[in-house]
This record gives sequence, structure tokens and C-alpha cells, in this order.
Amino acid sequence: MKIIKSAFPLVIALFLTYAMNQSWGTLPPLGKLFSPFHGFWMNAESPESGEPTEETLQIAGLHQPVQVVYDEMGVPHVFAQDDHDLFLAQGYLTAKDRLWQMEFQTHFAGGRISEIVGEKGIASDQFQRRMGSVYGAEKSFEGMKEDVVSKTALEAYSAGVNAYIGSLSDRQLPLEYKLLNYRPEPWTPIKSALFLKNMSFVLASGTDDLKMTNILRKYGREVAENLFPNYPFQESPIIPVGSPVDFKSVPIPAGPADFTGLGSAMTTPEKDPNIGSNNWAVAGNKTVSGLPILANDPHLTLSLPSIWYQMQLVAPGVNVYGSTMPGTPNVIIGFNKNVAWGVTNVGSDVLDWYQVKFKDASKKEYWHDGKWKKTTMRIETFKIKGKKDMVDTIFFTHHGPVVYLSHEKPFKSNIPVGHALRWIAHEKSQELTTFYQLNRAKNYEDYKKALTFYSAPAQNFVFASNEGDIALWVNGKFPLKSKLQGKYLLDGTDAAADWQGFIPQAHNPHVKNPVRGFVSSANQFSVDPSYPYYLGWQYAAPERGRRINERLAVMEKITMDSLRGLQNDNFNIRARELLPLLFAQVKSPNAAQSKALAALKAWNLVNSPASEGATIFENWVLTLQSCLWDDEFAYDEKVPMNRPTMDRTIQLMKSEPASRWWDDLKTPKKESMSDIVMKSLQANIDTLVKQHGPQGPEWAWFKHKQTGVRHLIPGMDALSRLNIPIGGGGTIVNAATTKTGPSWRLIVELSKDGKPKAYGVYPGGQSGNPGSSHYDDLIDTWAKGELKPLLFLESADQKSNRLRKKITLSK
Amino acid sequence: MSKLIYSIILIVIGTLVGIYLPWYAMGLAFGLIAYVLNMPLKSSFLTGFIAGFLLWIISAYWLDYQHPSTLPTRMAQIFPLKGNVFALFVLTGVLGGLFSGIWTWAGARLRQK
Repeated sequence: MKIIKSAFPLVIALFLTYAMNQSWGTLPPLGKLFSPFHGFWMNAESPESGEPTEETLQIAGLHQPVQVVYDEMGVPHVFAQDDHDLFLAQGYLTAKDRLWQMEFQTHFAGGRISEIVGEKGIASDQFQRRMGSVYGAEKSFEGMKEDVVSKTALEAYSAGVNAYIGSLSDRQLPLEYKLLNYRPEPWTPIKSALFLKNMSFVLASGTDDLKMTNILRKYGREVAENLFPNYPFQESPIIPVGSPVDFKSVPIPAGPADFTGLGSAMTTPEKDPNIGSNNWAVAGNKTVSGLPILANDPHLTLSLPSIWYQMQLVAPGVNVYGSTMPGTPNVIIGFNKNVAWGVTNVGSDVLDWYQVKFKDASKKEYWHDGKWKKTTMRIETFKIKGKKDMVDTIFFTHHGPVVYLSHEKPFKSNIPVGHALRWIAHEKSQELTTFYQLNRAKNYEDYKKALTFYSAPAQNFVFASNEGDIALWVNGKFPLKSKLQGKYLLDGTDAAADWQGFIPQAHNPHVKNPVRGFVSSANQFSVDPSYPYYLGWQYAAPERGRRINERLAVMEKITMDSLRGLQNDNFNIRARELLPLLFAQVKSPNAAQSKALAALKAWNLVNSPASEGATIFENWVLTLQSCLWDDEFAYDEKVPMNRPTMDRTIQLMKSEPASRWWDDLKTPKKESMSDIVMKSLQANIDTLVKQHGPQGPEWAWFKHKQTGVRHLIPGMDALSRLNIPIGGGGTIVNAATTKTGPSWRLIVELSKDGKPKAYGVYPGGQSGNPGSSHYDDLIDTWAKGELKPLLFLESADQKSNRLRKKITLSK
Repeated sequence: MSKLIYSIILIVIGTLVGIYLPWYAMGLAFGLIAYVLNMPLKSSFLTGFIAGFLLWIISAYWLDYQHPSTLPTRMAQIFPLKGNVFALFVLTGVLGGLFSGIWTWAGARLRQK
């Protein structure tokens, strides 16, 4: 009894220790996290002082020592003596700044988030794996291994990441591991493949086939084709109209029989339509320097730690600077002594759905081409934090995975149930080879050759060289389809509905040194309808592309600074078009409406941060679309449908004032165009008043838009930057929206003597550590529309007052 | 020995253990010291609490002073202390104190058969 009494406090102490060493729901392990010797206090880093520091680190596996110098932005400039060491150092240094992000993003891509967050991650994880993310990464990895150079790069990169992981004690772990209470696992080359495949998820997984089929079933083919035309009324395609064609096209497949699928239903959020990008290059005859200037700003969901990580990579045969993606070797967007390149996304249709007819409930056979064929199965095991493993079977037809069976609830509303997925992201591929060769490209021919290895996600690769060439290839692997094949759900039993091979790479849309003196892309239609192949029926809204082309056409004596101005252009081309049409429909406005209209009339059509007009206009577009179309296209949340685009709405206003679509079916009255415009104006004012109070400075565009750069852990506001004062918008060249925006801005001016000048910035910072001054130190520069000069070094010993730290990596 | 001397011993040992061993080793060490030195039971919790409180709050303050950053403010939003860094220091000290106090008490109690 006595002993029990004496030991009682010990039991309490042991229990307390256990409790403080564990996470409880979202509450981190308090003891481990708050201990100043182990927890978050250890993660604070002081900003570098003036004196450069030197340090040597031992890293197993290096062939020779590697010199690394960091500049004042925290960009490492890496000088290695062979490719192997270069990629090993890239892996090591990237992990040093971004380990948690690299691992978290690949866990997400591979459907393994529930290992970290428990049950609430399962639906997302299952969706990722059912869509074939792991299957696609495995296939892609097979392709990468076939190229010795890529294989070496991936293995050395992995070794570098693992060298860093191996050097970490618990107390040195990045903050997020401490908050979520887990440890990094070893990196493997397949994770790099997963990361690259995830870019297809981000950029090429949009699918409206189900919504379009729902429209087809409700309104018939004529209406569907009329309201959802296959080329915009106003467009300025990427490849200039009338560009010479230098190939003879292969025969176009006949196409499937007419088919109206079953459609299907469910509701949950969908993809963000604002992901898009701008890039362009101007020829020497339009620039002050006489040499080409290239500009790129890929728009992605803005996040912290940043999507991009800047590096300079130098080894025999290569000296390249640019932005890398943590998780993969090479520079993705950048420049070297001779060339510069950039990318924007191609919105082509590379994802199709096939309605599957299984023989019976066992799903072992399906009907195709007049025969029962065998399905294959793939077993996926999910490890769930705090729970038993979950095992899931995915059925595959020759098309691809049946993402959801007929009785299952899809993760997103645009994913049909009972359909097999055919997707370019499942193909074997060699994207790494493309980037490896681009990093080392000397001229147009090298660039052209590099692109032949690239599959997905398809990109508009803009290019400029110091030989004076500018070019743009709309590049990727495009399925060879009949016209409009895959606009709607396809018949999985019809062999003619299958993809019939691929468009030969040399026939991909391209343009070199056009007479107009510039090339550009902003995710709009790649080509005008005269191009022989079918690539897709819907692309990003044409406004950004039209604005860029309209500006570049008239700009002369171009400098890097004038292109910086264009990257930050906030002019609203849609408002220029639409406002006069709206004003013409106004009748007997009330006081609040008159006040809003007066602000719009006084507005200079620029989406500047403080503009009230921009807020009123942008919100009016939303309420107009909703008042006009929702009665027909959003009447039942179980039958998700597309809404016609603004381009189509503008056309309706211009030339179909008496169209049946103006009437609001929800009211007994028959509405006219004017009624709908006035109704949408009132709805616009009502929502703005509700959100911000009466019209005034609180209606400033940036306050309404609320651009933010958010930490990758949802809801982690303390590690995010919210309410950033920046203008722009989704259809504005400066494409900063609430959650998306220019994720990296680059401008490069090439030079004959191999000393290119470059400027760049991204909304974040080089370090992934929230305790570092480099975590978000570039955001303010980015928001102001300014750029940082990029330091392009010739050698590790080169003197510069911008160098802060020197590290020697030795074996 | 007075509480002050005990506390000083605990702080010195706590620092060494903190630098080289996992975070919970401090508790075990305090329990062991209380047992070996036969600390008075009555004041044991308070002695341990004061040592743990001071050790954690001073170390946290020292780290923040050496490496000024926005991290404490961010952590004081996550926890949520409305971004109040002073409150975050106090919370750190209280957690360290509580943990140390209970272990010191446990060690002292175990000695009193």
C-alpha cells in the first residue's frame, strides 16, 4: 500500500510525459513543441548580417567538392565538377530550404495525406489514386529510367535529399514536422516522378465532359453547340493567323458514332478556372538593345512555401539560372548564356471519359468492340494515422482506371461515375530529358530537339536566343482525335471512340520569328480553326491574350522595364467591351444603382488596387452570368452543368437581344435583356453592400478581391500572407486573383557576349522556414510590381557585394 | 539545502540534458535528482516548477534574442494568443514548470517510503 502511495506521483508524471509527447487531434505535442531545446524555438533564424560567412559540410556520395554561394535573396549558386554532383547538390540544397514542402506535396500527389492527418484525408487520397496518380508516376518513371542522363539526375538528386534528411536530428526538423508530429521518410526517385505527374493534376485535369453531357441530355445537341461554341467570337490565338504550315498532316480518324451518355450527378467544389499564365518574347527589331527579350509569368495557386525555388546550376557544359520545382532536378523556367525559355499551360483536351458496360457485378469483364474483355485490377493500400489500413481495388479497362463505380460518390462534382478515364498523365514520359536539354540549349535547334521528349502537361514553350531567334511551340503529346471527340462523355463500348494514336510532335503548333516581331501565349486557343488537328474546344478566356497581343503589336523600343510594365498591366479589356453594352440596357435606375453606375462611368477601366469601379464591374459580371444562365444551367445541384462563357454572353448581348435565354424561368413574367441587366445590377449592389457596407473606399478592389498567399496546410493563417494590396484579376494580364496569380515573374534580355541580364520575383521567399527572414521577403516586391535583379555568376570566386554565405560541400 | 540551491542544480542539469537528450529526459533527470538528494517533499513541486519555468522561459528568450524572427508572433497566433509573444514566453515557462514540478515531486515522493 505504501509503495503504491509513493509511486502514485510517478504514475502521474509518466502519464503527463506521454500526454505532452503526443498530438491530440489538431493539438501538437506540447512538451516536444515548446521545449526550447527541441521545439519550435529552435527554428528561428536570424537574418544574415553584413559579413559573408563560410562553412564546410560533409556529404557522402559526392565525387568532388561543390562550391555554393548564396546571394542576398537566399538563392544558392552551385558550382559542381560533374552532372552527378550538380544534381546531388541540387537535391541537398533544395531539401535544406524546402524539405517539408517537397515531402508534403508528393504525399498529396501519391494519395498519402491520411498518413499525416488521419481519416479526414481519405477522400482526397482515394481520389488521387483512383485517378491513377501513382500508376501514372510509375509509368512515367519507367520512361525516365530509359534515359541514362535522367536516371543519373534522379538518383543523384535523391541521394542529395537523403543526405540532408540523414543529417537532421529531431530538434532540427522543419517546423511543420514539429506541428504535425511526424518525421520525414527517405526520398526516392519515384517521388520526383509523382511531383511531375502532379503538375498534370494541377494543369491538365480540368474536365467538363460530364457537365456537357448533362446539357446535351437536357437541351439537345443544337443548343449545346450553339451556347458552347468551339472557338470564341473574339480571339487572338497563340499561333498568329496565317502562319506558314511546314508539315503535311496525317489522316484524321473518322470518329465515334453519335452517343448521348447517361450523365450523372453529385456536388462538391471544382477546379479553379483561374490557373493560367502569360509568356512572350519580342524580337530584336522591337527592342532598344537589338536582342530579344523574353518574359514569363506562370499563374498557379499561390502558396507558402513557394511553388518555385531559384537556383543557379553550374557544371561542365551547363550554366543555367532560373526557377526550379522542389522535388525535381533541373531548372524548369530560366536562362543560360545563350537562350531563355518559359512556359504557360495549354488547355487542350487530354482527358476523356468512357462509359463502361461491365458484364456483371464482379466487374471482371467489360464490353468493347463487340467482345467481352478482361479488366485488370490494382490494389491500393492506405495507411491512416490512428486507424487500421484501408485497402481499395481499382478496376482498369484498356482506357484506364474506372475512377468511381456507379454506386460511389465522387470526390468532385465534375467526375462521372461508372466511367473509365483515358488521360495523358498515364503515359510513359520523359519530361526530365526536356528540361535537362533546355538547361544546356545553345540555340533554336537545341530547344526544338529538347521539346520532342516532352509529354504532359502540355505547355506553350516560349523561346529566345542571342542569335536573335524567338519562337513558341505549343508542345506536348496530343491525342489524335476526330473533331470534338471527347467534348462529351464517350461510349466505352465503341472502338471508334478510342484515342487513335497521337499527333506527330513535329506537327504541334509552332511559330518561329513571325513578321509581327513577337510571340506570346496566355492560355488562349493555340491555333485558329484552320489548323488541321483537333486539340480541344475550350481554352482560357481570351482577354489576357488579346490584351498582350494588342500591346506588343504597338510597343516599340522595348526595354525590360516596359515589359515589366506589361506583366503588371491592370487594364480591363472585358470592361471596355462589356460596359457600353450594359449601359445601353439601363432603365430608370434607383439612387444606389445610379451611384454605382456613376462610379463605373468615371472608372478608367484599370483594375488598380484602390479602384471601386473594378469591384463593381467584376462583381457585376458574376451576377449577370448568374441572373442570365442559372435558371437553365444551375437549376438542380444534382445535375451539374457548364455555364456559357462571358464571350458567349457578350455575343448574346450584341446580336441576340430577343433570345429565349434572357427570360428567367423562375418567375412567371417574361424578362427582357434590360430586365436581366437591371436585376443583375441590383444583385451586384446587394452583395457588395452586404460584404462591405455602403459604396465607398471599403469597396476598393484589393479589399474585395483579397489576394492571399496561403500556407500548404489548410487554414494555417498564421503562416500565410493575406489581404495583399495588389490589383489585377483573372482576365487581366496581372492575373492576381483571390488564391491564384503570377507565381514567378521572369524577364530576360539576351546578350551576344553571353552576359544575359535578368530580373525576377515570386510571391514568397527562398526559405520554407516560417522562422526565416527569407520565408516571405519577396511578397511585397511582387505586390508592388517590382522585380529583383538576378545574379548570374561565371564562377564561384566571382566577386559581388550581393554574396552573403559560402558553403563548401565536400565528400 | 535551500530551495534556491536545489533549483540551481536542477537548472544546470536540465540545460545539459536538454542539449544532449530528448525533451522528456529533463523530467526523468529531475525525478532522479529529487530522489538522490532526498529533496523535502513539501517544497519539491515548487522547486521543480521554478527550475523548469525559469529554464524554459529564459532559454526561449535567449533563442529569440539571438535569432530575432517573426516565428514567435506566428506561433502566438497558432496557439491562439492573439500574437502576444509575451504570453507565448509565459506559456513556454508554465509548460516547462509543470512538467518539471511533477517529476521533482514524483522523485521526492518515491524516496519517502
